[in-house]
Amino acid sequence: MAQSKSIILYAGLAVLAILGGYFYLSGDGRESSRVVKIGAILPLSGDIAFLGESLRDGLLLAQSEAVNTRYTYRLIFEDDQFDAKRAVSAAEKLITVDRVDVIVTMTSREANAVNPIAEARKVVQFSTASDPKAADGYFNFVHWTPASEEARVLVTELEKRGVGKIAVFSFNQQGTLVMREEVKKRLSSTNIILVADEIFNPGEKDFRSMIGKASALKPDIYLLLSFTPELEILAKQIKDAGIKAVLTSIESFELTDKPELFEGYWYVNAADPTSGFRKKYERKYSKAPNLGAANGYDIFNMIITAAERAHRVVAPRDIANQLYVIKDFPGALGSLTMNSEGVVISQPTVKIIKGGRPEALKE
Amino acid sequence: MGILVQLVLNGLIAGAIYALIALGFNLVYATARFFNLAHGALAAVGGYSVFYFGQKLGLPLWVAVLLGILIAGLVGWALNKFIYEVLRGRQASNTVLLVASLGAFPVIQAIIAIIFSSQFQTLTRGFETRVYEIFGGVITQNQLIIMGLTVAISILLFLFLRFTVMGRMVRAISDDVEAARVVGIPVNRVIGFVFFIASAIAGLGGIMVGFETGIEPTMGMSLLLKGVIATIIGGIGNPFGGVLGGVLLGLIENLGIWKISAEWKDAIAFAVLIIFLLFRPKGILRKR
Repeated sequence: MAQSKSIILYAGLAVLAILGGYFYLSGDGRESSRVVKIGAILPLSGDIAFLGESLRDGLLLAQSEAVNTRYTYRLIFEDDQFDAKRAVSAAEKLITVDRVDVIVTMTSREANAVNPIAEARKVVQFSTASDPKAADGYFNFVHWTPASEEARVLVTELEKRGVGKIAVFSFNQQGTLVMREEVKKRLSSTNIILVADEIFNPGEKDFRSMIGKASALKPDIYLLLSFTPELEILAKQIKDAGIKAVLTSIESFELTDKPELFEGYWYVNAADPTSGFRKKYERKYSKAPNLGAANGYDIFNMIITAAERAHRVVAPRDIANQLYVIKDFPGALGSLTMNSEGVVISQPTVKIIKGGRPEALKE
Repeated sequence: MGILVQLVLNGLIAGAIYALIALGFNLVYATARFFNLAHGALAAVGGYSVFYFGQKLGLPLWVAVLLGILIAGLVGWALNKFIYEVLRGRQASNTVLLVASLGAFPVIQAIIAIIFSSQFQTLTRGFETRVYEIFGGVITQNQLIIMGLTVAISILLFLFLRFTVMGRMVRAISDDVEAARVVGIPVNRVIGFVFFIASAIAGLGGIMVGFETGIEPTMGMSLLLKGVIATIIGGIGNPFGGVLGGVLLGLIENLGIWKISAEWKDAIAFAVLIIFLLFRPKGILRKR
């Protein structure tokens, strides 16, 4: 009897030891492999809080639909106030204190600032940056219509409309400067002449001389690569200068809070959400999705897909491995495929401001 | 030719705004003998006051503007009364006063941001902007008003300092505060009055900038920096030197970017500051 008890006891201990060893060795020392933590560093206050909130709402919508999954997916939000320094502090806190598996960031500036941290700490970063450099490294990914695609569509449209001369005004920020470079690259192989190419710093309010210099060269169109509030001030000062030439942009007109300044102007925008996503979003939030909402939704769902597909207990590297093989993923922005550089390819659209609202441009 | 005229006009417009800020800044320095760094925040006070009374409460524009100027003046007066005057009474050095003003600046900014949020706002006049053409250059009605106001206020201030009793007391304090005290001039009261006037002028500057480009809680910092540069170029302690400095700075900035990218504008302004500090630290006009 005593011997039987001993055998059972030793057998039980052996089973526990084997199970314990299995779970310990297959994990990476992280807290609970059952919970995949996603830290989102977004501008939730300040001038572009409406974009941060949009991305947040997209993430939350996807989270609310995540049922019957192998793992639990938890979102933790940090407000970076559109400041790269705060984004870096938030990233450190999320990695060190919250021990997140994934960090989501929004713009190129913050994404580029967090990129080396994510790479060094082997945590996935998924951003909606327009600068493809934000995807440098194995652990960094970008889900935003590539600037090269947007520039291609813009230049095609310019050629279609017979534009001969263009002036470009760019906000001095990584994302817009990348767009500027891509546009210039495309223009160099066309007959369109770049008559003025000006960069202005954040906080600039006096564009009059910049406008005067450009208008003296009589461009047919002005390309404004900027965001609120500089965009509206620039547009107003162009109007005040009596300039009648057309204005266009990449993405900016979609985000303005003064669409009346851009009435009738066409522009290139990042990929548009599908009608299915729009309906879902409107049902939950009683409003139309803003720019970035669909990206947030897709990012969350791609992370779930990658984590669920991973064979073993999830660690960030496992998520990264599976993200690279995403192909023809049915996303809110259409069919999505990850390229080898960690950039999700989606197609830009051409839109127009009509009646104060953006609309798809009909041929 | 058209582009040159436009750049000169733009320089004069920008210079007029800098001159308004420098005028008040220099006036305070001439009497209180320290750089009041909170001066820039008073421009924001003026702008937001007009926003509140004109757009939120719906008062007539002229009433909102007058209230904006008055409130900016009162805030400046209060800063002096409850902070700087107290510190002067304790024989605090000018460095201490400067640091106190540096502390007051973000407090005012933060209060504005809390009340109105940090969202960028535009001030509307309620009517269309008229645009005029001058020798091939273009100028709007608002910009003409800015230039006209700067000239008018400069002339009024000159007349005030030259021909009024209070003006003479201000000049006496500016020359020698101890001698002024000895002859019975109520120094604290006069300095308080100077703060009111200087802050009201800053508030007006903020209001005009608000109509031109918009307002945000942090708008005062860039205005202050340009005002300080204008002061140093024109002559520290000479209010009219500040006007000259403002106009020169505006012209240098705008003509400076004629052939180079606009992102160099601030760099040009600060390069001019350094050149003046190295070679003519007292500025173009001496203290009067």
